[in-house]
Amino acid sequence: MTTGVSQSRTIGHAETVMGTVVSFVVHPGALSDAEVHSALARACRTLHDADNTFSTWKPQSPVSRLRRGEATVEELPTEVTTVLGLCERAKAASRGWFDPWAMPGGVDPTGLVKGWAAEQALAELVQPGVPAAMVNAGGDLAVHDRPAPAEPWRVGIRHPWRIDALACVIEADAAVATSGAYERGEHLIDPHTGRPLTKAASATVTGPSLAIADALATALVIAGAEEIAFVTALAGYDAYVIGLDGSELASDGIRFAPLA
Amino acid sequence: MASIRRVVLVIAAAAVGFIGVLSSHTSAPQLALPTAGQPASQRKQQQKAAATSASPSGSNTPVVLIARSAVGASEQYGYGVLSVAVTVRGNRIEDVRINALQAPEQYSQQLAAQAIPMLRSEVLSAQSGRISGISGASYTSQAYAQSVQSALDKLHV
Repeated sequence: MTTGVSQSRTIGHAETVMGTVVSFVVHPGALSDAEVHSALARACRTLHDADNTFSTWKPQSPVSRLRRGEATVEELPTEVTTVLGLCERAKAASRGWFDPWAMPGGVDPTGLVKGWAAEQALAELVQPGVPAAMVNAGGDLAVHDRPAPAEPWRVGIRHPWRIDALACVIEADAAVATSGAYERGEHLIDPHTGRPLTKAASATVTGPSLAIADALATALVIAGAEEIAFVTALAGYDAYVIGLDGSELASDGIRFAPLA
Repeated sequence: MASIRRVVLVIAAAAVGFIGVLSSHTSAPQLALPTAGQPASQRKQQQKAAATSASPSGSNTPVVLIARSAVGASEQYGYGVLSVAVTVRGNRIEDVRINALQAPEQYSQQLAAQAIPMLRSEVLSAQSGRISGISGASYTSQAYAQSVQSALDKLHV
């Protein structure tokens, strides 16, 4: 970490939405503060719109109505069709380990929506021309370009057991999503059986799309490291898995950042 | 105003501190947080960060600033409720302490005991900018960041 490359000014924002905190780092470049804040406001609006559309906790959300059979996909906002299309892609790519249609209570795209929404938010920042930006949606990150030519975005991967530690730091140039069953104590469901299953302590997926990476990370933490090939079979996607025994496995495209 | 918001952002973005990771691996987690003084290495880091972050006015004139404190909102963190007390001097966070912590189960207390010194370290060293974000779900860190944010809001930082 030489000095001089990371001192360019950044503008930040943290938004509470989708049951988490979504934070932004923006390198404004030639844009004025007002232009950046305007783009941030639009980005936050897309997040709240996504929450209102896709939340399974809000009884009147379009997806809740879909789940109860009160509306068909055709009657709902087009974003629902878009997201369900991405869910189909992720289901096929993950060989069924990600399957929103196998969830109890009806179709549940939650495992992909947060990543998708963060991508939409990032697009709102890229559109007016920010040179570099990062959106961190509660641990799922989408980045645009890099802070400086010689300085990639560095993303810490949470250690699955040591909440005070990182497992590693990787360099990111698009999307990074991590799933784990830690802290929340939630049960991940094996779509093939409908039963709880977690075969990895933590699974991180990197790639061009955060929506897909988010879904595949969820799938991989259920399926375990032996299924890592379903990620690496996709062009541009890589995975880093920490097993239940603490073993680590990373595909070739994961770039670990130096620790000093 | 822009550089002020940046401080708040980095807190939320970076749940666990890189510098703190290196320094805490060998020490047992402690829930009791030091209220006065910090490790010399951390202080040095902060000073370095302070030296490289532009002041909002762009002025280089040294000024004497009074330390001010506020207690942030109580935030749910998945196992209980926590709130923090933040001390600032000018635009810089000088200290973050736990004001209140409810962690009903022993496991939760252990989790919080491990997390909180780390999060504090992250807040205090956030300006170093070595890591842009943390990947992986974390309720504790979100609650902590939100409470810090609300304390800063009260201080009009």
